[in-house]
Amino acid sequence: MSGHRIKNGGRIDRSKPINFTWDGMPRSGYEGDSVASALMASGDMVFGRSFKYHRPRGIMSAGVEESGAIISIGEGDRKDVNVKMTTQELYQGLVATGQNAWPSVRFDLGAINNSMSRFLVAGFYYKTFMGLPPFEWGKGTWLWMQYEKIIRKAAGMGESSREADPDHYEHAHGFCDVLVVGSGPAGLAAAQTAARAGLNVWLVEQDAEHGGSLLAESSDTERTAALSELSDLGVTIMNRTTVFGLYDYGVAGLLERVTDHLSSADPRLPRQRFWTLRAKHTILACGSLERHFAFGNNDCPGVMTTQATRTYLNRYGVLAGEQIVLATNNDSSYSTACELARAGASVTLLDARNQINKKVAQKLSAANVDYRAGHTVVKANSGAEGVSSVLIGKANGSEWTATDQLPCDLVALSGGWSPLVNLISHRGVKPVWDPSTACFMPVDSSEPLTMAGSAAGIWNHDDCIKSGHSAASMAAKSLGKETTSVVMPATGGWNSPIKPLYEVTVPGKQFKGFVDPQHDVTCEDIRLAHREGFVSVEHLKRYTTLGMATDQGKVGNIIGIALMAEALGCEIPAVGTTTFRPPYTPISIGALSGQSVGAHFRPLRRTPMHNWNLVNGATMTEAGLWQRPWYFARGVETISSAYIREATTARKSVALCDVTSLGKIAIQGPDATEFLNRIYTNPFAKLPIGKARYGIMLRDDGFVMDDGTTWRLGESDYFMTTTTAHAAKVMVWLEELLQTRWHDLKVHVTTVSEQWAGVAVAGPKSRDTLLECVEDPGVMENAVFPFMGVIETTLKGGIPCRIARISFSGEMAYEVYVASDFSPGLMDLLWPIVQSKDGCLYGTEALGALRIEKGHVTGAELDGRVTIEDAGLGKMASPNKSFIGSALRNRPDMQRHDRPRLVGIKPVDHNFTFHAGAILCSEDKVEGLGEGWITGVTHSPELGHWIGLGYISGGHEAWYRKRAIATDPVRKGNVEVEIISPHMIDPSGSRMYG
Amino acid sequence: MVNRVSALEGHDTDCRFGINDAIAVHVREIPNLVLFQAAAWVDSMSAVESAISSSAGTNFAPGPVTAATGTNGSLLRIEPMKWWLYGITAPELPEETGVTLDLSHSRTHVRISGPQATTLLNRNLPLDLSEQHFPVNSVASSSLHHVGITLWRSEHGYELFIPRGFAVSVWEVLMQSAAQFDV
Repeated sequence: MSGHRIKNGGRIDRSKPINFTWDGMPRSGYEGDSVASALMASGDMVFGRSFKYHRPRGIMSAGVEESGAIISIGEGDRKDVNVKMTTQELYQGLVATGQNAWPSVRFDLGAINNSMSRFLVAGFYYKTFMGLPPFEWGKGTWLWMQYEKIIRKAAGMGESSREADPDHYEHAHGFCDVLVVGSGPAGLAAAQTAARAGLNVWLVEQDAEHGGSLLAESSDTERTAALSELSDLGVTIMNRTTVFGLYDYGVAGLLERVTDHLSSADPRLPRQRFWTLRAKHTILACGSLERHFAFGNNDCPGVMTTQATRTYLNRYGVLAGEQIVLATNNDSSYSTACELARAGASVTLLDARNQINKKVAQKLSAANVDYRAGHTVVKANSGAEGVSSVLIGKANGSEWTATDQLPCDLVALSGGWSPLVNLISHRGVKPVWDPSTACFMPVDSSEPLTMAGSAAGIWNHDDCIKSGHSAASMAAKSLGKETTSVVMPATGGWNSPIKPLYEVTVPGKQFKGFVDPQHDVTCEDIRLAHREGFVSVEHLKRYTTLGMATDQGKVGNIIGIALMAEALGCEIPAVGTTTFRPPYTPISIGALSGQSVGAHFRPLRRTPMHNWNLVNGATMTEAGLWQRPWYFARGVETISSAYIREATTARKSVALCDVTSLGKIAIQGPDATEFLNRIYTNPFAKLPIGKARYGIMLRDDGFVMDDGTTWRLGESDYFMTTTTAHAAKVMVWLEELLQTRWHDLKVHVTTVSEQWAGVAVAGPKSRDTLLECVEDPGVMENAVFPFMGVIETTLKGGIPCRIARISFSGEMAYEVYVASDFSPGLMDLLWPIVQSKDGCLYGTEALGALRIEKGHVTGAELDGRVTIEDAGLGKMASPNKSFIGSALRNRPDMQRHDRPRLVGIKPVDHNFTFHAGAILCSEDKVEGLGEGWITGVTHSPELGHWIGLGYISGGHEAWYRKRAIATDPVRKGNVEVEIISPHMIDPSGSRMYG
Repeated sequence: MVNRVSALEGHDTDCRFGINDAIAVHVREIPNLVLFQAAAWVDSMSAVESAISSSAGTNFAPGPVTAATGTNGSLLRIEPMKWWLYGITAPELPEETGVTLDLSHSRTHVRISGPQATTLLNRNLPLDLSEQHFPVNSVASSSLHHVGITLWRSEHGYELFIPRGFAVSVWEVLMQSAAQFDV
């Protein structure tokens, strides 16, 4: 092929040259070019190497179905692989490189695979997994293990960048009455009719320019007139945007390529935008694809579809060849043949059909097109630079007889047209084979979804326009707008019927003809699959990899199915078709994640003291979405030395911890007391105002759901705290109970987790600390403010607060809550006083150490599998009232005495450590699931060795004077442990009451 | 009295985007939010309606998913039996009539206005905000970048009430999206 730029014509701007490189070589094109058209105009031929056999590949199309010219674009961290050269717009400085070849696509050592192609047939992997036939039959896969690495290295197309993606992406939402997919003649007409009816219309086009097949026409008036009307009517007109999938309830997924066509995009712009568009009605005017057919060497550079040659000529001003053989089986190629000839090429048209209509013949003659009826291409012969001649043949029944050779530099093919049924197929609509047009036709959908134009199998230009008007008038009517009805034209529209042609065979000759050029699937592979029993279309696909390349079967599927039908001796509908799934064309992972990357992978939840904590030396950790202080290292402290110091300080003096992440729920109303009494296992009916109570709530099934404290602020006003982990779950649960079971209760629940910020003040000097903070020190007296007391008072500086004397650490401790915006002020007030008492700040690590020492449970212990007895809190289940879970907790299995119960754990040798997650086994049986597990571990500063909490069958009484083994085979091995009471420090609680 | 500290402390909380003087979108925090909740019982709806409309200075209490603005403040109907009172404190209600709650510190109030305000919001917010479907004084609970928010279209623009703990995250996402309107 020797493509070259013609002097005039095309939609390119010859006054704006663009320089770029192809495999390191300087090239140039014009604004409006695709990489394919620019390189074709430069005379380049080979752009890729095929997947398996490394056969040279050239340009095969002018669109998204491209299966030959697949390359890498960009360099460094902006390298994209498997880009279809035909759809990549040219920009200044673009870097294009070949892939799947070494040293280059023009000379590729991997081409040796081609000579071994008899061994690399369909199912090659599967067969070698089972051993090399016949030597390894029945003996396993020794050989496969040897060359697996080499194959893994050779597999795949292109090598993506290993650097982080420097671009950003975003999501967007759109809403419209009518979505029109595709802006060819039918799409433009549909958008016009819908917009004229006053509907909100989106016209979405994957190409940079609107017009679809009109862009391949030599005249531009129809296109520009329609577009200007649409813009006046306020239609949202999008380009470079692919409708990649259709989903339930009119949702369409769109990918807008915002900057992929720019050489230096503003970094404030996203590279791509992922749209979720909700349309009341969708019109699919997405066109059709021209098919090739299989013959000898039909994959060689210089073989492309007829429509592609027309697009290159009329859109890009490139004549794809000088000596063109055009082989067709339908009426769509005649005008292209004439246009190519008029542009200066010598054109021979081969029509597989035995007759050419007289009028057509006259036109062809007038344009100087040489034509032969009843002929087609049998085999392409390739020279150094692609096709150099073709062997042609004469129809002989269903086969062909080779006649003569024709020299040529380009073969243009038309094997018929396939309506793009991909999108409607996403909606579960199964296309139906139509023998008269030799294609799969879409059928009606039960959803507001209409096909128009050649996507509906309508070939004639005027009928396509009519079908667009018709589809839109149906849409308008269903949306309650007045329009004139337009009758949907019939499908088809050619003067002479198509002659189905999928493979050209000559009796007694074997050619290598490709069905799916991207995955190197040959006609012979299909027949091999048939011989080996893979006859279902789904098996055929997986066995041969037909249709599994980046075009997802756009090019090869129908030929493959037709060949299988022939092998089976049945009709195409009996073989069936595979289901198309989104995306229609590949979309980047970056676009799917949008802004949900890096620090915004999930939204971070910060407490109102977040900045204060950071300024004061916190290292943060994640607790769900929350950012919480983990520890506050001083100087060279590690996390271990920091948390041990913090926990020690809390037991000796006083320490502060941000506990804002606890869930907080306001429970208000005359029936609030009754409500609490029903959801908690322990009695709440008589909790006095000004008191807090620890409570456990169960699920309906009797297992523990959550624990926390609830404070009574007034007659009908409660403040509940939940664990950080279960805050949302508890809130939803309470609301559900009120709305579905107990709507007679006058209670409102409202989350106030964000309204209140909380700090735990823990340690023997906690009361002294708060005495210095409150305006009225009298409120802190032990007599008026005992353990589990609640007060509402004012801090110095006028900060209103509520304080409860509750303790998670086991020390004398308080939780102080202020309205969130005041919490930095609260910390500024507390911190100097705490410092003056040699106190400190502590984080979740020390918090964990303190609560494990005390045997206090948290999310790790209340994991949804434990009963209230398992957690050692059985006394909190009131026998005198009914509460959520009170019935089902009495199931026999939940009352078994050998259930795993909460225990304390310590190593027999105090120098040993162990990990949370270790399995507890009895000494004589260290295997299987064991007798229990460890939920949390810490170094206990108070005891001077490691301790843990966990569950073990029967609890610590059952293990009195018995050793257990904490087994942790992948991390630490076995550690001998003693099972003790979970209350490892101050079991009587004297410190809390002090 | 100690000053209130915004969740967006340390951020520039008044940002205009656009080319030259043509402002495309204006995103700003309205600080020192005053927000109360009033909740009624099934048999006391009208009593609460009259109490809160007299507090706000409106002629009526708004129906579901709408808002009304009076001489003193605004009312937003955020749940079947709950209103938010914006800019005013809640009236005293006897418990048999209803209950009230101070939520002033629970949300960060961000206002988005300008010709591209809807475009910016729809980058992350999955609601049809066209005049036809979401006119002035519409109220919705929705989500923005995975965060549940309350949205009210006032005469000034879109009023977003973001749970305070998520304010920085949402603000950063809005800023990243809005930057493109400078181009």
